[in-house]
Amino acid sequence: MGFLTLEGVSKVYGGLAAVRDVDLAVARGEFVSLLGPSGCGKTTTLQMIAGLVEPTGGRIGLDGRDITREKPNRRGLGVVFQSYALFPHMTVAENVAFGLEMRKVPRAERDRRVAEMLALVHLANLAERYPRQLSGGQRQRVAIARALVIAPPVLLLDEPLSNLDAKLREEMQFELRRIQRSVGTTTIMVTHDQAEALSISDRVVVMEAGRMTQIDAPYRLYEQPATAFISTFVGKMNRLAGVWRDGGVAVAGTVLASAPADVAAGAAVTASIRPEKLHLRPMGEGRLAGRVASRFFLGGHWLLTVGTEAGDILVSVPNTGEEPAREGEPVGLDWAPASLRVEADAGAAA
Amino acid sequence: MQKNGPVALLFHALVVAFVLAPLVVICLVAFTPENTLTMPTTAFSLRWFRAVFEHPDFVTAFGNSLWLATIAASISVAIAVPAGLAIDRYRFPGRDALNGLFLSPLIIPHLVLGVAFLRLFALIGATGSFAWLVLSHVIIVTPYVLRLVLAALSGLDRSAEQAAMTLGASRFTVFRRVTAPMILPGISGGWLIAFINSFDELTMSIFVTSPATVTLPVRMYMYATESIDPMMAAVSALMIALTALAMLALDRVFGLDKILVGEK
Repeated sequence: MGFLTLEGVSKVYGGLAAVRDVDLAVARGEFVSLLGPSGCGKTTTLQMIAGLVEPTGGRIGLDGRDITREKPNRRGLGVVFQSYALFPHMTVAENVAFGLEMRKVPRAERDRRVAEMLALVHLANLAERYPRQLSGGQRQRVAIARALVIAPPVLLLDEPLSNLDAKLREEMQFELRRIQRSVGTTTIMVTHDQAEALSISDRVVVMEAGRMTQIDAPYRLYEQPATAFISTFVGKMNRLAGVWRDGGVAVAGTVLASAPADVAAGAAVTASIRPEKLHLRPMGEGRLAGRVASRFFLGGHWLLTVGTEAGDILVSVPNTGEEPAREGEPVGLDWAPASLRVEADAGAAA
Repeated sequence: MQKNGPVALLFHALVVAFVLAPLVVICLVAFTPENTLTMPTTAFSLRWFRAVFEHPDFVTAFGNSLWLATIAASISVAIAVPAGLAIDRYRFPGRDALNGLFLSPLIIPHLVLGVAFLRLFALIGATGSFAWLVLSHVIIVTPYVLRLVLAALSGLDRSAEQAAMTLGASRFTVFRRVTAPMILPGISGGWLIAFINSFDELTMSIFVTSPATVTLPVRMYMYATESIDPMMAAVSALMIALTALAMLALDRVFGLDKILVGEK
């Protein structure tokens, strides 16, 4: 039984379904990300939990209580908006104190809790500043402090890091996780950044066109993507169309060794393998011969495109201090058969 | 910022000079010691400013105008803010009609309004009433406030209101603590422009004022039809100074370009 539950929640805007029949159960203290491209309904789902958008169907429960029709100001959830939505005419301390003021918390306790929260987000020395005097990352932390100070049962984050530059975004991911761990608040974060979702969540919910298509721990989501869309949206994936034959996948005359699959011989299948599961070998070795078509250096690793009989294949080579094969050089490709996943194409198999 | 060419700069300078020149001349003439409107003046004197304050009817008219403009501007703000919120936030039947109704006084000539109000006040027996004079001014200044309030609302980040709501604020508290402070520049700008418009209004006021409620522009008009002397220039200079001070104060507090152009 989940702490926060969504049962068959839908939202229809003038005949167009933004969110369709969503079911989700979030445990107490869990960090769950809603991941998907823009327009997939993830923000609408979050706003329905916050009470800012009314669902057209379904039920939302919090700690056993039905909150589907409850007004946002009665739900008591913490919300961090994409634009941060700080009050420009109030100082940092006043912004953070707002929720406590609404709860009629006595002055002394209010000041104490605001100070505690500002210390937690490392902003104690900026309490008297106005939002316009802060950097993006600082505003972000004010928004988190303001949402957390009311000790909400659930913290909702709407693309909280999307307005920050890459370096700061990475720092804030750790920061967000640290704060969430130390406070222990159940958290739901909306993001379109798969790396962000994978790195800080306990579980990731992938949404496509208003539906939830997979709910899994980051590692499982990456290793066992449920749909073709997820396999390419989360990380990079080589996808090769072929035919199931002799316990492997035949692509353009070559049979690629794969994990065993419950597919009839001759059925159309798609083979998929992550670039980092492929290993570069000298010419003549390995399972497949090819020629390097392009090579990108990305710091921690190299990303090569290798042209083979089976088509162009992306290969990720860790940077071990030695340069891999150059463009135009012939190479061999090797992989563990278990890492080449096979699925029957829809309609063709049955 | 786009650079203007020399021709464009000259054109802008001429426009500004053309607008400002009469005001500057009036202010200079106000300090003449002569008995007639002379330019250039020979010496500097406050004689005509003293003369203004020795005319009790001018002092009373000034007080009337000040009161009238203050009350009319305040009432128009009280009407335009809720009306602006409704027009900006909701799609309801008659929304465009309401918007049009609020802005219609801008389209109707003040002369026509004056005659209409004169007839109306005569019919209901309200001639000479200060309250009805206020009402007529509220009607002509509300469009200005509404425009500025609508501009301020359209530039407002609504997520701040949503944030306040999720933090436990009721709708009214959200308005009082978040919305109103955030659109305050638009509201104060609207109030001031309403004040100035009401304070300067002549055409309509000629019809709807009575000897007891005569406003400063009407008093000046009546005086000027009988005689022209530098005292008119002195009164004008005072009015210009008052308006300029008010605009300056508004610019200092909120920035005029922010209020009128909507720049951040």
